[in-house]
Amino acid sequence: MADDIPKRVLVIDDATLVRLYYRSALERAGFEVAEALNGVEALEHLLAARFDLLVVDVNMPKMDGLSFLQALRAKGLPLSSTPALVTSTESAPQRIAAASAAGANFYVVKPLHAEALVQYASLFCGARHG
Amino acid sequence: MTVRVSEGGAIELSGRCGVEDAEVLQRHLLAAPGSTIEWKGCELLHAAVVQVLLVGGARVRGEPRTAFLRDHIAPIIARSMKQP
Amino acid sequence: MDELLAQFLIESRELVDKAVDDLLALEKTPDDRERLEDAFRAFHTLKGGAGIVEFAAMQEALHCAEDAFAAARAESRSVSALDIGNCLSCLDQVLEWLGTIEQSGAIPPDADAGDIVALFARAGAQRKASSAPRNAGDGWLAGLLAAHASAAQPAQSALRYTPDADSFFRQQDPLARIAALPGLLAVDIGPRVPWPKLDDLDPFSCNLTITALVAMSPAGVAAALGDESRRAEIEAVSDRMRPIEAESLARKAAQILEAQLRLLEPAGEPHQQGRVASAGLVAANVLRHLGRTSESEAIATAAAVSIAEGRLEPLVEAIAAAMKGPTSAAVAGVSAARRKDVGQTMRVGAEKIDALVRLTGELIVAKNSLGHSVKVAEQRGSDLAAGLKNQHAALDRLVSELQRAVVAMRVLPLRAAFQRFPRLIREISAELDKPATLVIDGEDTEADKAIVEAIVEPLVHLLRNALDHGVEDGATRAEAGKPAVATIRLSAAREGEHVVIEVTDDGAGIDVAKIRQAAKDRNLKAAEAIAAMSDEEALDLIFLPGFSTAKTVTHLSGRGVGMDVVRTGVARLGGQVELRTAAGRGTTVRATLPFSVLVTQVMTVEAGGQVFGIPLDAVVETLRVEHDRIFPVGAAHAIVLRDRTIPLLRLANVLTGRPNDHVDESGPIVIAELDGQLGAVQVDRIGGRMDIILKPLDGLLAGVPGLAGSALLGDGGVLLVLDLAEVVQ
Repeated sequence: MADDIPKRVLVIDDATLVRLYYRSALERAGFEVAEALNGVEALEHLLAARFDLLVVDVNMPKMDGLSFLQALRAKGLPLSSTPALVTSTESAPQRIAAASAAGANFYVVKPLHAEALVQYASLFCGARHG
Repeated sequence: MTVRVSEGGAIELSGRCGVEDAEVLQRHLLAAPGSTIEWKGCELLHAAVVQVLLVGGARVRGEPRTAFLRDHIAPIIARSMKQP
Repeated sequence: MDELLAQFLIESRELVDKAVDDLLALEKTPDDRERLEDAFRAFHTLKGGAGIVEFAAMQEALHCAEDAFAAARAESRSVSALDIGNCLSCLDQVLEWLGTIEQSGAIPPDADAGDIVALFARAGAQRKASSAPRNAGDGWLAGLLAAHASAAQPAQSALRYTPDADSFFRQQDPLARIAALPGLLAVDIGPRVPWPKLDDLDPFSCNLTITALVAMSPAGVAAALGDESRRAEIEAVSDRMRPIEAESLARKAAQILEAQLRLLEPAGEPHQQGRVASAGLVAANVLRHLGRTSESEAIATAAAVSIAEGRLEPLVEAIAAAMKGPTSAAVAGVSAARRKDVGQTMRVGAEKIDALVRLTGELIVAKNSLGHSVKVAEQRGSDLAAGLKNQHAALDRLVSELQRAVVAMRVLPLRAAFQRFPRLIREISAELDKPATLVIDGEDTEADKAIVEAIVEPLVHLLRNALDHGVEDGATRAEAGKPAVATIRLSAAREGEHVVIEVTDDGAGIDVAKIRQAAKDRNLKAAEAIAAMSDEEALDLIFLPGFSTAKTVTHLSGRGVGMDVVRTGVARLGGQVELRTAAGRGTTVRATLPFSVLVTQVMTVEAGGQVFGIPLDAVVETLRVEHDRIFPVGAAHAIVLRDRTIPLLRLANVLTGRPNDHVDESGPIVIAELDGQLGAVQVDRIGGRMDIILKPLDGLLAGVPGLAGSALLGDGGVLLVLDLAEVVQ
């Protein structure tokens, strides 16, 4: 059954603490987690393997979250259809609109707590977790 | 009888305990502090009785018969138990 | 120490070092924008880390430093020496805290950012308002809301009730008052003055302060408390005050679906496929997670179509359709939410709905008058008639739909009426010393608001009767092998266009013989008539006014059993009441009410030169009889119909008060069911049927017996609608 295959999440954030926090929360909930420090690394991961969800911070050096997303959505299917949840410390509507324009499926204002993260991940991946 | 002491020493509250039961309960509790209160047959407690329970730091056991006692009064009494 | 905290320590120390470097450099070259940015980012990241490990004091302290930088960045100026000094002090404090964490292995619970905050405040730095959810100002209200977060959501009022110290002496039970509040959500009890020791307590002096959250408006709470409301502070709970509850899964799901629709807005983006496919994937997954598999598959299919055809519409529509779908049914199995998703309901004032009801009524009248004009056009052979007729038919359909929709808005669950009854039963049961329990079934059944409000009084009568007259005393029950505690069952169910409410007791049942006897004794009907009745018909006698079989008229039931009041009350709502009983086993009273009280169908008749309406419900059939089928019976007249003798009245005579002669003229006859019996009413002419909004009479006509109400007609006239039962009496 498709539900038996663990869902894979790629966490893209330059803060080690954040990646650590998300990884432990998601792994405890049964997801497989990979990490990337910035958009460039993320694309490398994505070209090598399939992911069910990307958790991307907008604020990253080298290639910020939204530029990464635009580049991703410009690629061919199925890579370009990877669901992406964007995180940011800012809540202004223009930021949210910009994220949507860049191709984000959802926008969450930090702090993103472990339980909420797991709920979102479950919804995005369609995993039938209790 | 709405307030009585059972053979085991527990104070039983049953049915509808009116204002006069407050004094009876107070006496029982002073006579035997720390007694357990069984209220599973209880349908109604007059405010005066609840007052004695709160002050006496009552140790209440069982589930009373009405929703108001179960859902609202029971947690309040439970909290009062913890106070020193 | 867990891995997260360990990592936090390492990173934070690095960041502090970096920040110190940047600050010292800035001190030397205050215009270095790059350093300023670096320093800002260091503080920002430090603060983020503190947020992850939930170290609030550190967040607060760093926030002040962040603000100082933000001001400088925004105003394109350099940070002052004072700011730099304060930021360094802030970092000192952070280092201290980090040291404590390393030693103790945990975040110091008493860490306080107060000093740092004061430092920056003195420097004039603006402190951004805290983004923490703000609770109400008053201590007791905030505490109450915080202590009962889930009850806070549906709460409309909060109250703090401090009864007088002598309330117990005045026969009051303050707690019972609170317990009786409809919509009670949460209760807390505390002392008014600090509690004494138990042996110093005066048990008859009330020292309680009771706080509560109620799902009722402050005005409603005040009304429910009656004169005790002077001892209560009642506050409205506004949305602002509720602690922000963790969002339910359902809410998140809805937000995600909405976000996909935004993503699908045509943006002129050349790279649509990735967006569309991702939106479809996310939406399908969300629904799959909620267990709504068929909708999930529909979305997946729509996504494929959208991509293949290069059009957004199929997927957009599929997602929009899913958003309207049944969230509550699916989520019930997944999330722990016990209440319907608040985002799917709106609060609308009752007066707005009443206004809508009135407007709908007037629309129906306008539609009827259009129909009238259409008829006239047809009669005159106008070539517009056909078109008008079609349009009228279309309007008719739309108005009916509107009517149904509006009626649905005014429905309430019967729970609103029923929830006071368990307490009523307890009180009556105590007074009569007949232990009884009330079982309620179907309180979710909905009915028009008018019915829910008006059905309370008849039900109170029925419940009292059940206990007073139905349920036997303890000894009798014991002898009969019945449980000591009687069961009264109150049930409600929807049956087609009606709502059926039943009150059943497991008592002694009704002795029909006694009913007959009592009716005879009181001369309510002729003795032979009573004797001739079937048991069913005799049972119905109980509904006659002035009836009582109780030897002792208890103060509870007053004069008579009150079944006539029940029948009148129900009839006024357009319903009917009937009785079933089994000797020794119990009795069931069944009230059948219309689901909607909006529209009545009437039949128009002409009598004595005037036109009247007769509710179609009451009409059994109409026929013409020749005068040789009418024959006198005593002082009255009757006709025979299919071997039944039916009393006959001439409506014109009744209305004008003339004696009942001239009934031997031929004329159309309306057979109606009146109070369970058939009656025949002769009229001059029978008209057609129409839908009307029955309005109660007011003003001069209100006291006239025989009139059920009036209605506005399409031609502007007023139709008086008869209450045949009253007319015939």
